Amino acid sequence: MSDDVDAAAVDPAGDRAVLRTDGVTKRFGGLTAVDDVDVRVEEGEIIGLIGPNGAGKSTLFNCITGRLDADEGSVSLLGEDVTDWPEYKIARAGLGRMFQETRVFGDMTVRKNLLVAAQEGGARVGRLLGRPDSALQARTDELLAYVDLDGLADVRAGRLSFGQQKLIEFAMALMAEPEVLLMDEPAGGINPSMLENLIEYIRTANEDEQATIFLIEHNMDFVMEIADRIYVLAHGERIAEGPPASIQNDQRVLDAYLGRE
Amino acid sequence: MALAQFIVNGLLVGALFAAVAVGFALIWGVVDIINLAHGEMVMLGGYTAYWALALTTGTARGGPLVVLATLPLVVGVLFAVGYLLQRVLVKRVMGTDVFLTLLVTFGASIAIQQLALRAWTANPRSIQVELADPSLVLGGVVVPKMKLVAFLGAFVLTGALWAFLQRSRTGRAIRAVSQNPEAAALVGIDVEHTRATTFGLSSAIAGAVGVFVATILNVQPQMGLIYTLKSFVIVVFGGVGSIPGALLGGLLLGSVEETVAGVISSQWTLAVSFSLLIVLLIVKPNGLFGQEASE
Amino acid sequence: MSADEGALRRVLPPERVDDFLGACDDYGWLILVASTVLAGTLPLAGLEAGFYMTFVTDLFLFGILALSWDLVGGQTGYPSFGNMAFFGIGAYTTAILVKDFSVGFPVAFVVAGGLAVAFAAFIGVIVFRLRGHYFAIATLGVLLAAQQVSRNLEITGGASGKILLDTPSAEAFYYLFLGVLVAEIALVYYLSGTRFGFVLNAIRDDEQKATAMGFNTTYYKTAAWMLAALFTGLAGAAWSLDNTFVDPQTAYNGAWNVELIAMALLGGSGTVAGPVLGAFGLHSVIVVVDTYATGWQLVLLGTAVIVTVVAFPKGVVGTLREYAAEMAYYERGGMAAANDGGDDPDEDSSPAGGEAG
Repeated sequence: MSDDVDAAAVDPAGDRAVLRTDGVTKRFGGLTAVDDVDVRVEEGEIIGLIGPNGAGKSTLFNCITGRLDADEGSVSLLGEDVTDWPEYKIARAGLGRMFQETRVFGDMTVRKNLLVAAQEGGARVGRLLGRPDSALQARTDELLAYVDLDGLADVRAGRLSFGQQKLIEFAMALMAEPEVLLMDEPAGGINPSMLENLIEYIRTANEDEQATIFLIEHNMDFVMEIADRIYVLAHGERIAEGPPASIQNDQRVLDAYLGRE
Repeated sequence: MALAQFIVNGLLVGALFAAVAVGFALIWGVVDIINLAHGEMVMLGGYTAYWALALTTGTARGGPLVVLATLPLVVGVLFAVGYLLQRVLVKRVMGTDVFLTLLVTFGASIAIQQLALRAWTANPRSIQVELADPSLVLGGVVVPKMKLVAFLGAFVLTGALWAFLQRSRTGRAIRAVSQNPEAAALVGIDVEHTRATTFGLSSAIAGAVGVFVATILNVQPQMGLIYTLKSFVIVVFGGVGSIPGALLGGLLLGSVEETVAGVISSQWTLAVSFSLLIVLLIVKPNGLFGQEASE
Repeated sequence: MSADEGALRRVLPPERVDDFLGACDDYGWLILVASTVLAGTLPLAGLEAGFYMTFVTDLFLFGILALSWDLVGGQTGYPSFGNMAFFGIGAYTTAILVKDFSVGFPVAFVVAGGLAVAFAAFIGVIVFRLRGHYFAIATLGVLLAAQQVSRNLEITGGASGKILLDTPSAEAFYYLFLGVLVAEIALVYYLSGTRFGFVLNAIRDDEQKATAMGFNTTYYKTAAWMLAALFTGLAGAAWSLDNTFVDPQTAYNGAWNVELIAMALLGGSGTVAGPVLGAFGLHSVIVVVDTYATGWQLVLLGTAVIVTVVAFPKGVVGTLREYAAEMAYYERGGMAAANDGGDDPDEDSSPAGGEAG
């Protein structure tokens, strides 16, 4: 994974950004959902993206992942311009994504959910037409044990509780060994005790699995605790950027959240 | 001149397609069901009129007014058929997988078609309209009078449906259910009854068109699927739930098909209208799925 | 829980069903080989050309068709009303090659399969842009258009089609259909354990998510569609000679298309055994009805479709699986783990509305 991403190779200018957007703009009819947003995510960072409802956070994510085409600006991943790439190709290049609403493959067993998520071998027919090898099975068992769901490997994923599905989705994301993982409200809808676990899981993923993480979050305590840096969006514009401590005391951020202009 | 004749022919038939499609679009828009048995309603309407005439007068023929007199009966019978189809069958798969709803109506389509085949054989039947002078000639274009009547009839039916939806209490209930069934239920609208009524109205208008089809062409048990498919093409073109869109789409499809029939051969019309559908789907796929969504 | 259900549990405990299904999975290949050997020896054991051999051959035919439909409709979540187009193409290709070009049947058989696959690839590019209603109706349109083309062209013999004489023996077709069916079951069964098969299921469950995970779903959908076309086309190729004539109405039979969907659903869509067993079951019923009430089989078919969808949408195998899985979840710690916060999986506990953009 990140071992083969030599920082210098990412950008000749010595830019350590694994993911960056330059002037990304997205309009829906008359509404500018994302307005000229620059974001830089460096290797190994955990970055937060916050903002009031309707600020354009998920839209920015969608422009990054290729779900939506940005009207202006560019997106680069690992030094490559991926602005016009199709979504699946960007994902395969190392961008993982967890959705806001939990999404697992409901009619498949938990094990199959993880196996299908593995990107190693990509779409090469030879790999896909073989039975999942023992290394892949072992990795599945390891990740399921990691999120404490190893007993449920052969249960249909759709039967699991919301919290369990969230963990499965997280394990699926790790299974793909992404360079950069986008998480849309990972703490949304889960209870406090599990939140603790989640912070732990994300930290471990960041450190042990060397995944750079970019997450949208509404839970301020959570994001302040976990993020190295935070971007703030309001009305589609980037209004602040910096370490959690400075964001907490930023007047523009407070105004945006309290609805003052 | 030939082209003008083809287009006039097309508009005359197209109005009938349009009126059938209007019913199809109504169910799609209000109940969110693609009724694959919709074409069978055209067939049943035609047979109802045919047998009403055959059993009362002894022959399936009569003056234009006699033929038109079967309309109220057909509308009533087909309303009941449509109402029951929703109440007994479609209701049970509402809210499940889209495909299951398609399959149930397809099953109904096959069952109705096959029962008709058992009851009335595969022979095409038509109603003979007795007119002393069956055609008009307007500026070199031949216009069969009965086709003109059918054309006007299709517009009257569509207009009546539109007025009913806009003006009547039931019409307002139907529009409310199409926009938000939960809210409609909260304000005291019987949603199930309203949906069944929508099915009834849709089937009634299709059945009424069936009477005209029986007079200017013919009816036979297996004719339904083509009408369903044409309705689908028209509605995709005109927009789901849009009556003016369906009208325009119907007239356009009719013109294109008749022109193709005139220039090439009438045997290729289905392939042509289907190709149109494919082109349409490729050219404006976003038009079908709504706007690019933000989430 | 009703008293009925309690009684059902005593007679048929879920864990027994689970064991049974588990055994079927574990010994799948053995069961397939044993069934193949059994079916292969039937003609030697006295099944002679005639009503019963035709009947069993037709079971194989419908098994092929239902399983092919399910590969795309059940496994991948793209239910098509147009599969019979591949059948018709296979049938006409064979008929034309054999009759007009004096090509040997084996060659014609292979070419027919190939053409069906090529047609699927071509049409797949178009129809797989669509979902739900649009996909289903577009495929129905493909079928009707193909039928009309065959009715109008001279090479296909127009509305009356083609009559084929000097066809191989009934035994030959018995073994041919059996061979195609077994090959298909083996392939689908094998694929269902590979990541290719998992990707198909993933597309069915949540295509957007599959795309976001890095799968070019068009590629997988088209591949499944081409496989389905291959087997459907081969079945059509064999059928044309076995049937001794090919005409537009039967070769592109829309009612059959619905029939094979009903078979797949009835047996259990999304499984390997379900569609095949459903085909065996429903076709047997249809033949019985046809024998005692000739001409009513399609009325029955329509009714069967309706009843299946309304009362039994998961099919036999699917329902059994649900029943067995019900306890497995709790036995394996699901209940304890589910109490992690009282989150109900069916309840939308994420913040409402989300990002409007």
